Amino acid sequence: MNNQLEQVLKKQQEQQKSPSEGEIEQVVQLVGFMVGEEEFAVPILGIQEIIKPIEYTRTPKTPPYVLGVFNLRGSVLPLIDLRMKFGLSKSKENEDTRYMVIKHNDEVAGFVIDRLTQATRIKESAIDPAPETLDDEHNFIYGVGKQKDKLISILNVEALLKRDF
Amino acid sequence: MDEFQEILEDFLVEAFEMIEQLDNDLIELENSPNDLDLLNRIFRVAHTIKGSSSFLNFDVLTHLTHHMEDVLNKARRGELSITPEIMDVVLESTDKMKALLEHIKETGSDEGAIDVAPTVKRLEAIFGGEEPAVEEGSQAAEPEPEPEVEEKELSEMSEEEVEAEIERLLAQRQEEDRKRREAKKAAEAAGTEVEQSGEKELSEMSEEEVEAEIERLLAQRQEEDRKRREAKKAKQEKEAAQTAAKEQKSGAPKPQKQQEPKPAPKERKTTVEQTIRVDVKRLDDLMNLIGELVLGKNRLLKIYDDVEERYEGEQFLEELNQVVSSVSLVTTDLQIAVMKTRMLPIGKVFNKFPRMVRDLSRELHKEIELVISGEETELDKSIVEEIGDPLVHIIRNSCDHGIELPEERVAKGKPAKGTVQLKAYNEGNHIIIEIVDDGKGLDPDMLKMKAVEKGLISEKEADQMSDKEAYMLIFKPGFSTAAQVTNVSGRGVGMDVVRSNIEKLNGIIEIDSEVGKGTTLKLKIPLTLAIIQSLLVSVQEEYYAIPLASVLETVRITPDEIQSVEGRSVLRLRDEVLSLVHLADLFDVERVFSMGEHAYVVIIGIAETKIGLIVDSLIGQEEVVIKSLGEYLKGIEGIAGATIRGDGRVTLIVDVGALMDMAKSVKSSMQNLEDNVQKGEKSSPEDYNILVVDDSKTDRSIMKRALEPLGVTITEATNGVEALNIMKDGSKSFDAALIDIEMPRMDGYTLASEIRKFNKFKMVPLIAVTSRTSRSDRMRGVEVGMTEYITKPYTPEYLMNVVARNINLNVPEYTS
Repeated sequence: MNNQLEQVLKKQQEQQKSPSEGEIEQVVQLVGFMVGEEEFAVPILGIQEIIKPIEYTRTPKTPPYVLGVFNLRGSVLPLIDLRMKFGLSKSKENEDTRYMVIKHNDEVAGFVIDRLTQATRIKESAIDPAPETLDDEHNFIYGVGKQKDKLISILNVEALLKRDF
Repeated sequence: MDEFQEILEDFLVEAFEMIEQLDNDLIELENSPNDLDLLNRIFRVAHTIKGSSSFLNFDVLTHLTHHMEDVLNKARRGELSITPEIMDVVLESTDKMKALLEHIKETGSDEGAIDVAPTVKRLEAIFGGEEPAVEEGSQAAEPEPEPEVEEKELSEMSEEEVEAEIERLLAQRQEEDRKRREAKKAAEAAGTEVEQSGEKELSEMSEEEVEAEIERLLAQRQEEDRKRREAKKAKQEKEAAQTAAKEQKSGAPKPQKQQEPKPAPKERKTTVEQTIRVDVKRLDDLMNLIGELVLGKNRLLKIYDDVEERYEGEQFLEELNQVVSSVSLVTTDLQIAVMKTRMLPIGKVFNKFPRMVRDLSRELHKEIELVISGEETELDKSIVEEIGDPLVHIIRNSCDHGIELPEERVAKGKPAKGTVQLKAYNEGNHIIIEIVDDGKGLDPDMLKMKAVEKGLISEKEADQMSDKEAYMLIFKPGFSTAAQVTNVSGRGVGMDVVRSNIEKLNGIIEIDSEVGKGTTLKLKIPLTLAIIQSLLVSVQEEYYAIPLASVLETVRITPDEIQSVEGRSVLRLRDEVLSLVHLADLFDVERVFSMGEHAYVVIIGIAETKIGLIVDSLIGQEEVVIKSLGEYLKGIEGIAGATIRGDGRVTLIVDVGALMDMAKSVKSSMQNLEDNVQKGEKSSPEDYNILVVDDSKTDRSIMKRALEPLGVTITEATNGVEALNIMKDGSKSFDAALIDIEMPRMDGYTLASEIRKFNKFKMVPLIAVTSRTSRSDRMRGVEVGMTEYITKPYTPEYLMNVVARNINLNVPEYTS
């Protein structure tokens, strides 16, 4: 009885193991989006949810890219305009605009993006570290993902959620 | 291992709860040393902890509790009367026990940290029938006698005694089994898988196995004996107590046999079923969800109102009404119920004070009785946690500075024993905690003198001070009235910490005192930190909540009542001159609307300072639930938190203290309003932007075509709301707007009056284009701020000319 069970368990384990072992490379799932003219991506595990724009309340005494706070089902979350954070002009809200709610540990915040593009899977090996010439100001780039026809800047979720004022 | 960990955690929780009770029982015991019930209860605590700790192999703890148990057992049987000296030792061992448990909690082991030997020696001495040496203040003096051995060793026991010992061990083992079963049950209920325990339960064992188990237990017992022998050897340097030890040998085994732990577990079982431990985080989550439910309910109510209007008298309305009201009732009840789960009786804090006062009175050589009432009054958990420290300071102060020495009291005709009362009761949304002593009271003149001496206030201030204000001086940092610094209080810190702690809880302190009669300190604290009463105000389009506790009054003023002194705005209010600051300046609110005829001043104050806060309007009083802004936005200057209002919007709660600091450095920007209205240079006709608002596409294209020759840029909007949004958006600054009157969602009149509310649109020409021709329509157009009024039908040239005139553009020559 016990033996049988063990065998079954063993088999299961092997089955679970084999695909990941066969695929030596780790795959990262990313959600791509546009900010201004450029495409960025965030690991899908860093995203809590993506919502359509809702009303927010301005917070005084904060940098301009902190638009304010909004109510997500009872939690008050900060809303950050990624365009302004990246030095572009303020986002114009249109029907493609989304709030991307990003979570890292207990930190949660909403980020305004211009448009969602697509979810992609990319091999870890296809991600290069961010170019060294980028200074501290841009340290929220985790790496650059190479795809067939384009490059995607992958954002560092932790750095995005770090208060820098 | 996991199972062990679980048992250990259960043990710790249980042990800490019992010790809390133990402290109080012990104090009570001192007053009524012959209360058998009390003694039994105390004995059981020591016994239970001993039993569990020996099972968990905490040798040091077992050793200590074992000796406590011996002493208590003797007292229980009336062979020992509890004197204050004995009580000191018992309390000391309770402290050691606590320290050991703390140590176990942190490290998982009880070894190495705390030396229990001196305490054990003293306990042994008492057990041996000696009074411990009267201590001088500190615990430096250790009693010399050190009798030993409370349990006979196996090797020295007679046949019957071994029998009895086996029985005792088996009983203990059964008790352990029972506990393990309980722990397992609890674990299974929690859904965790329980590993099969290596030890079988007694009830499941065969004859031989029981035999084996007895063997095992005896071996364990021998091992314990061996250890104890070693410990004894280490201590047996003085031979003086040998005889005492002999006596004990015959007396010891008896209590061992008697201590069947049956009554205690039975009692515990009932309490286990009545309470359940829940992570506070879960309650918070629950509270959040209920907040959402409340929002949903509010929306439902609003929709019901709309529906009621539209379908008046229909059959289904009645049913809907019933559903809506029952949902709203249940939601409210649910909200209250969950809030109640966060409430704890303040007795949790009060419990530690009897012991503290007792220790203090012995240390200070005073006689003090602490009378507690209202310990069942409930408070939010977070407040219960915060209130402890301030109360410790206050009570210490009352004992040290308030209550006089017995001789002094008798000389004054008071009873030698002083009384400190600790009362708690509800008053509206607040809880009041009163600390009343019948000591020497506060002398306002002496307080003032002292404060002047220390440079805390000037002589002039002192003269003007009322008695009440003088009492409040004791809360100033650096103020201490005790001429001599004692061990207990008067280090110059403390009372100011009390005040800041209470203020942190949004609480208020009041002092009343009479020289020679005593002092009363009254703390008024909101029931929960999570919900406060607030005054909602608006500035331009933004809303802010001001905690009502800091609002002194509100006044309506006209702009010309604001005077300027040295570049600062002030308001003369009755006899006072109040400095004013506009909330919009503090929070950099964009002034899109001009100030109306009236403004409101909210006078806010903390302690003695107050300022006037100018706001555009007062919305009203509202109970708000405070939510944190989270790590990212933590500590924004002037903002204490946020709340979610009925409509789902977030409203910020201002931090009055910080606001008052900010006000010092802010200058009013009222005067230089007009400066920032700049006009971009216009070089060609395309630079002119015209907004065309009409719901009919045909009408819009007619207007567009008419304006084509001008070459201006045209933006279209299909209704008033859209038009207003486009203008507010600010991406284009419009030089004129053509507005139809009849439009869905927002008509032309409303649009015009809305536009005129904005400062920056004051001068924009608004041209009504409509088929309404009556005089009253025209009048109305003028009233709401229309610049021109064109009636349909019109010729394209006429429209073009009117527009061109309004934006100062030359009409191009006609080349047809």
